Amino acid sequence: MTSHLFKLELRLLARERVAWVMLVLFAAALGYGLWNGGRLAGQQREIAVAISKDKESFHAQLREYLGRQSLDPKAVAGQGTMAVLPPAPLPLLATGQSDLSPGHESVVLWKLAAPADTRSELENPSHLLAGRFDFAFVLVWLFPLFLLAMVYDLMAGDRESGTLRLALAQGVAPMQWLLRRALARALPILALAALATLVAGMFGSPGGTTLRLTLALAVVLAYGLFWVALAVAVNVVARSAASAATSLGAAWVLLVLVAPTLLNVSVETLYPTPSRPELVAAGRKASGEAEKRGGDLLNSFYRDHPELAPPGQQADFAAQHLTVQGEVGRAVEPVRQKFDAQLAQQQTAVGRWRFVSPAIAAHEALTDLAGTGYWRYRAFREQVNAFKQTVADFYTPKIHRREPLTMADYERLPRFSFREEPAGDWLERAAVGLAGMLVLTGALGLWAWRRLRPSRLEPLSN
Amino acid sequence: MIAAIARKEFLDAWRDGRFRIAAVVVLALLGVALLMAWQQVERTRSERAAAAVMERENWLNQGVKNSHSAGHFGVYVFKPLAPLAVFDRGIEPFVGTTVFLEAHRQNQAAFLPAQDATAMRRFGELTAAAGLQLLAPLVILLLTFGALAGERERGTLRQVLSLGVRPRDLVLGKALGLGAALATLLLPVALLGAAALATLPDAEGGGSWVRFAWMGGAYVLYLAAILAVCLAVSAMASTARAALAVLLVSWAANAVLAPRLAADLVQHILPTPKLVEFEAAMNQAVQEGLDGHNPRNQRLQTFAQETLKKHGKTRIEELPFNFNGLVMLESERMAGEVFDHHYGKLWDRLEAQDLTVTWAGLVAPLLGLRSASMALAGTDFTHHRHFSVAAEEHRRDFVRVLNEDMMNNTSGGHHGGVADPSLWEKLPAFRYEPPPSAHALRAATPGLVVLLLWAVVAWIALLVVAPRLKPN
Repeated sequence: MTSHLFKLELRLLARERVAWVMLVLFAAALGYGLWNGGRLAGQQREIAVAISKDKESFHAQLREYLGRQSLDPKAVAGQGTMAVLPPAPLPLLATGQSDLSPGHESVVLWKLAAPADTRSELENPSHLLAGRFDFAFVLVWLFPLFLLAMVYDLMAGDRESGTLRLALAQGVAPMQWLLRRALARALPILALAALATLVAGMFGSPGGTTLRLTLALAVVLAYGLFWVALAVAVNVVARSAASAATSLGAAWVLLVLVAPTLLNVSVETLYPTPSRPELVAAGRKASGEAEKRGGDLLNSFYRDHPELAPPGQQADFAAQHLTVQGEVGRAVEPVRQKFDAQLAQQQTAVGRWRFVSPAIAAHEALTDLAGTGYWRYRAFREQVNAFKQTVADFYTPKIHRREPLTMADYERLPRFSFREEPAGDWLERAAVGLAGMLVLTGALGLWAWRRLRPSRLEPLSN
Repeated sequence: MIAAIARKEFLDAWRDGRFRIAAVVVLALLGVALLMAWQQVERTRSERAAAAVMERENWLNQGVKNSHSAGHFGVYVFKPLAPLAVFDRGIEPFVGTTVFLEAHRQNQAAFLPAQDATAMRRFGELTAAAGLQLLAPLVILLLTFGALAGERERGTLRQVLSLGVRPRDLVLGKALGLGAALATLLLPVALLGAAALATLPDAEGGGSWVRFAWMGGAYVLYLAAILAVCLAVSAMASTARAALAVLLVSWAANAVLAPRLAADLVQHILPTPKLVEFEAAMNQAVQEGLDGHNPRNQRLQTFAQETLKKHGKTRIEELPFNFNGLVMLESERMAGEVFDHHYGKLWDRLEAQDLTVTWAGLVAPLLGLRSASMALAGTDFTHHRHFSVAAEEHRRDFVRVLNEDMMNNTSGGHHGGVADPSLWEKLPAFRYEPPPSAHALRAATPGLVVLLLWAVVAWIALLVVAPRLKPN
């Protein structure tokens, strides 16, 4: 009986022209989103590859040169080292922050304490504002609309026209009937979304993305099921198809358009973003003061570190610059830490409140799994900061002692390689997000089921 | 007759529970948006002003120093936030707030506020502009989808028409009544907005009130066009349900799909150059001249010869001033030409992209409104460009003063010598004068034209459809 109902509903659906139009439109949107995401990911990969090639050829040259003679460390340090974030594991899933946050940074010994220029690509700001037409956009924004177009009228229309009574007189359990119908009607859209997720997964970075992809697939299906459950719940009480459609439309507007912006504005009011200009000006103040005391600073530095004092005791410009820079770094560090802490607090608040809307939870989970979200970029920034220290630690003593760079140093030259976050970290965040969506879906389903017990069911609109 | 129908519709709308709920929700959201934005704009403005004061002190207190070193120490300038960002933040979160002015180089504005925000920012911002652009049309939709189609379905349309009411009067009456209901909803928003602007400290610069008035006009045109379109659809649809479906799909296409799709597609038609290529081309032009056949060294040699000839000397050391200072001046002038050319080309490209998106507003009116609203608020790209140009002019003045000091205060052929700290005082602080409202109006014109066309065509369409109103 029940599988029969399912098949019947599918057959009915196949006769609806609107349903086919919806399917084609959704497939087109998914295809364009994937293609677009692929283009951006391709460009980013190209940049990363070009930088790596530059780096390799520089190191090959350096090696060859050092084989012949030693080098002034200042010359090598001045060339700088590029710190590159490798391409995301599943970039086609979501553009995330990858068009906004820089994926590479040039680390130059002389500029370690200067505020870094944070741009890594030219972008039209209006394009950043509008956002990209990527897979995550199609999934978080459009997917629910297509689903709702298919399932908004599961029971309300029957109640309106009086056929609900007739259907229930057949002796089928109302919840069973409703669920079979909902799943049958949602199935094509859900299947397309799942298929597209798998396609996105095929273009991931090689190796180790199966777990990410499986979770992404679960997130996509859970998000879809949430909207189906919402449609079921609304249909249980709606008196007419039009009122079901209006309620579901309103729910979409509130959950997808309003809730995220409300969360954003609340988080920014509760934990205001610290002032970047202030951080810049504070760093400048420290560097101005340190520069003025440059000579004194260096002398006191050599008093503390006699082992680093150069043979002739003549303070040279480079050594003085490094001492000043170290002083600036120390002076600005507390301000910078406060700044970072405040940003982390904002993101933690978002993480805590993401269940206000499954759209937020799904978006966070997808960008996280794609490797284009806040946390991976944060890890990159932190590792670059640590790398700056490594660069300073390597070159500073040599420059003070005026030691040349030799072949023996070649293997020890600081090189940046990004360590991916431990799997446990993103796994936990994505799993919590997924569980949250499933709980919301379950709660809606349970409520609908309780309302559909024969004693409370109202088969007629009055 | 029209007045009676309008009065009836007006009352009906306010008695409708759905409209009242939607109205309360939208009003509350707009109120919250204005309040929060007021607070944020105020804070951002005072933070940037404070940073500017601090940076000025850094400059003045740099002590005794070589003037060219001071050129490398440089100055940071901070972009003041436009007061009307209270309504529409526009591209502000996605453009740099800080420009580093230094010798030899023109830098782009760095530090995008969106980089220092959570990914939630990418869902869009809750501003009064977003509320009016996205949610107000939904309220109109809710108000109008059943206005004619619903009456037809219930059979009341036939009754009304049988009384001898002219269909055109009926439609116009409904349009006016519903428009009035909408106006009573939005008037408080406008007043609240005016209050927000009036209480914001130092908000008068750049003709804020003129801009505010034009912004009001742009939104009225947009909402009026949407009202007419919705009523026309309701007049033609056979059932309220069909009207609702058509209108919801159109709303989603206009509000959700169009902005992203247009911004994406324009990148295929008018691509933005890659940063690496842009910088490579610019560096090459600095070295080899804009035409690529005029190497920098050669030009400077010619320049040296001409200078010697002009002063009737044979050796650089004989010149009555420091020739290095003059070379610095000349190479800044040459580099300036290159920067103007390359940045000009880049910015022209970005403006062309924005303009194309604006004209795509002929299909989706939101695109026209967004462009006009941002331009009038002073948060569009043309305003950012205006700021960038002003910052660059300041950089050139500042480097010129330093180089002139080097030229006149140190003896020939040396970079050496230190400048007196009084030189730092000679360089005025950067004071940014936002462009007048005429600039904003020029930038907003395409968007306003799009909106005007929409409003005119939509109302004509409504008047064409109205007499053909079918009773069933």
